[in-house]
Amino acid sequence: MMRYVLGRLGGVVLILLAVCLFTYLIFFKLSPDPAVMICGKTCTPERIDSIRDVLGLNQPLLTQFWDFLSGIFVGRDYGSVHCSAPCLGYSFQTNESVWSMITARLPVSITVAVGAAVLWLLVGVIGGLVSAVKQGTWWDRSAMGLALGGVSVPNYVLALLLQYVLVVKLQLLPFPSAVPFADNPLLWFESYLMPWVVLAVGYACLYARLTRSNVIDTLAENYYRTARAKGLNGALIMRRHALRPALTPITTIFGMDFAGLLGGALITETVFGLNGIGKMAADSIAKNDQPVIMAVTLLAAFFVVIGNVVVDLLYTALDPRVRVVSS
Amino acid sequence: MLVGLVASAALALTACGGGTSGATGESAGPGAKAAQGGTLQVLANAAFSHLDPARGFDGGVNNFYRLIYRTLTTQGAAPGADGTKIVPDLATDTGKPSDGGKTWTFTLKDGLFFETGAPITSADVKWGVSRAWDPEIGIGSPYAKQLIEAPASYQGPYKSGDLATIATPDAKTIVFHLKKPYADFGSVVAQNTFTPVPKGQGAGNALDSKPIASGPYKVSEYKPGASLKVVRNDKWDKKTDDVRQANPDAFQWTFGLDPATIDERMIAGQGTDADAIAGTIQAATVARVQTAQLKQRTMSGLGGCTTYMGLNSTKKPLDNVKVRQAINLAVNKQTVRDAVGGSTLAEIATSIQPPTIAGRVDYDPYPSPDHKGDVDGARKLLTEAGFASGFTMTLDTRAQPKMQAMAVAIQQALEPLKITVKINTIDTATYYEVIGTTSQQHDAAITGWCPDWPSGATFLPPLFDGRNITAKGNSNLSQLNDPGVNAKIDEIAKLTDVKAANAAYGELDKQIMALAPVVPLLYEKVLMLVGSNIGGAYLHDGFSGGIDLVSVGLKDSGK
Amino acid sequence: MTASPTLVEVEEAVPSSAPPTSGRRILTTVTRDKGALACLVFLAIVVLMAVAAPLITKLSGWGPYQFDSAAINSDLGGVPHGSLGGISGSHWFGVEPQNGRDLFARIVYGARVSITISLSATLLTGILGVVLGMLAGFYRGWIDQVISRLMDFLMAFPALIFMIAILSSLPSGNRPVLLVVVISAFGWPYLARVIRGQTMTLANREFVEAARASGAKDSQVVFREILPNLRGSIVVMTTLAIPGYIGTEAGLSFLGVGVSPPTASWGQMISSSVSWYSVDPMFFAIPGLFLFLTVLSLTVLGDKIRTLIDQGEAA
Repeated sequence: MMRYVLGRLGGVVLILLAVCLFTYLIFFKLSPDPAVMICGKTCTPERIDSIRDVLGLNQPLLTQFWDFLSGIFVGRDYGSVHCSAPCLGYSFQTNESVWSMITARLPVSITVAVGAAVLWLLVGVIGGLVSAVKQGTWWDRSAMGLALGGVSVPNYVLALLLQYVLVVKLQLLPFPSAVPFADNPLLWFESYLMPWVVLAVGYACLYARLTRSNVIDTLAENYYRTARAKGLNGALIMRRHALRPALTPITTIFGMDFAGLLGGALITETVFGLNGIGKMAADSIAKNDQPVIMAVTLLAAFFVVIGNVVVDLLYTALDPRVRVVSS
Repeated sequence: MLVGLVASAALALTACGGGTSGATGESAGPGAKAAQGGTLQVLANAAFSHLDPARGFDGGVNNFYRLIYRTLTTQGAAPGADGTKIVPDLATDTGKPSDGGKTWTFTLKDGLFFETGAPITSADVKWGVSRAWDPEIGIGSPYAKQLIEAPASYQGPYKSGDLATIATPDAKTIVFHLKKPYADFGSVVAQNTFTPVPKGQGAGNALDSKPIASGPYKVSEYKPGASLKVVRNDKWDKKTDDVRQANPDAFQWTFGLDPATIDERMIAGQGTDADAIAGTIQAATVARVQTAQLKQRTMSGLGGCTTYMGLNSTKKPLDNVKVRQAINLAVNKQTVRDAVGGSTLAEIATSIQPPTIAGRVDYDPYPSPDHKGDVDGARKLLTEAGFASGFTMTLDTRAQPKMQAMAVAIQQALEPLKITVKINTIDTATYYEVIGTTSQQHDAAITGWCPDWPSGATFLPPLFDGRNITAKGNSNLSQLNDPGVNAKIDEIAKLTDVKAANAAYGELDKQIMALAPVVPLLYEKVLMLVGSNIGGAYLHDGFSGGIDLVSVGLKDSGK
Repeated sequence: MTASPTLVEVEEAVPSSAPPTSGRRILTTVTRDKGALACLVFLAIVVLMAVAAPLITKLSGWGPYQFDSAAINSDLGGVPHGSLGGISGSHWFGVEPQNGRDLFARIVYGARVSITISLSATLLTGILGVVLGMLAGFYRGWIDQVISRLMDFLMAFPALIFMIAILSSLPSGNRPVLLVVVISAFGWPYLARVIRGQTMTLANREFVEAARASGAKDSQVVFREILPNLRGSIVVMTTLAIPGYIGTEAGLSFLGVGVSPPTASWGQMISSSVSWYSVDPMFFAIPGLFLFLTVLSLTVLGDKIRTLIDQGEAA
């Protein structure tokens, strides 16, 4: 088991390195000269050159990449500007270390992701369960029809629609803003409600459909019928024999989806103007702020890769069959 | 400076403005008298570029800097032309020239202190100015470097030490030695780079996160990209300052708000939004502020900038003056104006210099009915030039909805002439860098220009002096190098009478437009909606139409 | 983010190896189902719009790029004259604020963009996914190692962020082609992973071993024995991928890195409607509705086809 975990972690590091290098190479080729952007409107060629020196842009590509990597662990200096470890780069457009930009915005993204996840898990799994139990009924058919609709609506369309109806027309909710919970719990809840719903709808519908089909499949399995035939109590069977096997695959997908969201819900945050990682990514892409784009890409990849490992470990714990194989 | 359009995406607070201010002077509107105290809210889309005065140089920060910084002189604080008049600030007067205008002496007032309590001395002013030579720091206003004598190798006080050409014979006196005589140096020392910085401090990016205030406010909390709060600087003495009223106790900026959200909040005006000001409204909001109630809260004025399309005269067939004139005739300026929000948000431009510039002449060298374009006249010119069958040209455009909409309008207008316009979209960050690099520039580009102070001197020479064409950072987009124009520019520069010079620039405008190196498109306007509790607000001509922050306040400060 | 949920669902629910379900059977079942039939009809209309766009706009009288300054009020920021966003006899869906371009014409031409890009991306993803998936599953060993690691790598990538970043820094060039390439580059692993798994299972089946024993070449085994057995999965996965790609294209255009102006795309239209939705809701509602209905129709049909193929397998 230990070896397995270590092996997986090794893989994680390799993938992250690859993502890092790939992003670096692509943006090294594509990006305009960052020195020119720092230089400002009243620029001279000599000044560009001295900025390039300060940034180490006159070094060979691999040296620069190495500087970037080592900066993560020991920090680095850009001329007179010090960027302390963990240094994911320094944005000369916002005059901030990328790490502090991320830490300032991560709470917003986490709030968005956690709230949405709770919502979609509750609605999705419960909705799917009820549909499975009431398979073929009026409830089941309308719920599943609704779920197809929910999967199909692009989240920015939904976001704008909700904002138009709830905020502009009915004035039930305020315009979303990243209010800290401690400042005003009610406003906090009202502000995040729409982003949560918008993000959750697609996933909830998907999870409802998945849960339903998984539960139905399990109900048809032999061991379940055996349990029933033995006269075991309905609720107990449901819990022990139908739910657990049916929900294990959901755990897997949930881990991945949730990890993906931690890297920033780009569209939702942008539409609602929430200052999270996603909006930061969109903003820095618009400004071509290369260090920030790099860091966000890395961060998002980091969450996905870690999410992958956690899911695998969880899966081992949840499903005895896998446990045997892996050890 | 390239302010207007550099800013248009980035600075919600500015855009351009000036001219008439609808509500000024009315007792109920935003022009009503402001009380002392309270916290004034500012809702903004983009954050400030820099808090370091040697770095920041755009309409948005220039206005804000007056709250926390003082310079030797500054612009007035009043609507209209009084706002652009240079008045003493830290100095007792607007400077004493000697040596035929090559040496300028300023004397500091008494009772000046930094927020730290340390007195502001001439050595601090010198330290602040000499930072402009630092290659990393001095990226803002270029005037100090352009005009003041300095060794070629000088790299600012942190790298090269003392700058001998700025003398400080005593703690109150500062003497600048210029490269050559400059009559208007009193206006130059109002630039941000002339902000005092305590000697020995401000290295690296220290001031960008923690400015050292000399003005009536100091930064109390700054979350870059999110919010900024300034509170009263109790070391600032009102008696030393004739310009700043400094009404509220604090200003609170919120950055990163979506422009449409800002408009919605300003219309609703709930809670602290009643104490808020914001930037110019979106085109989509214009139709919604037509009620009497909201109209009372709006302020509108002309910007100090011109939006234009530069035609690269080194590219075929734009090297042919008739082709450039044909394009000038054919462009439908009505559709271009609609692209930025119609008549409420822009006026149609016919001359290069905007109406806010002294000495500017109102004329239309390429007239068409309702400015909708004279396609027949243009076709005639094209036929004479031998391009009756049209051609293809590439138009560089910034990746920003407003600019792209203008480009599409131009594309449509030139279609009947069989001129195929290819729109080349360049990302917002590098746009000005790309079109300012002559080797990367295409046939045409949409851009804008705002004067650094409202005179022809900071408008026509930077854009049309053929000897200023540089491989990088070029602002002469048409790459016009006309001996007649160059000679005229030199001739005007020699004039010592500012009025005569301005009138001469007005005539130069006509001389340049005869060559049609650019298509003047619009003079954009500001239309601002302020909170119901805002008083003392007017649009300041010198800050591209921003609400003058040192005069604005709350009508009811809640005291 | 627009595309991934559908993709995840697909890979979970795909049959392990599906015997071919005949196209005719699918068609007859679909036409009998009222909901599915409605979807089919709607999609037919959209495809027709896309194919005959120039003809249709000739009938309606307005081209997609033609300005109509008379239809908008320049003094009110360029808001369309008349109610419902300027819907009238000459502008059937109203006009775009600030320039008066005909929304009907832009919807029709926008359908072209959506369909061309999503179908091309599906095709490219399909080819990449099937070929690489089969290579990995059939040859195993180092080929499998290389392809699998590449898939891991691409799937770990925050695709949306990266797509936007790449598209925004690439020169405008040929946008639609770029969009297809970028979408496919991040889309193929989801198909390839399933194909790989199924190929592995199939390669061990008796009929494949029998074919091998009788001296068939690798290529013959792949094309005659394995590929036909993958048909069901490929059909299901690709049908369900199309709506995902339509959504992705619209999403990228919505974020401003999709097709370049003046080209019309539904995502681009929704994007420009953002600031106008409180004054001119129709400008948002019309492209939003078309996008939603198209994606919904494709999803419903794809779902139907999958159920049928599953049943075919069970039968």
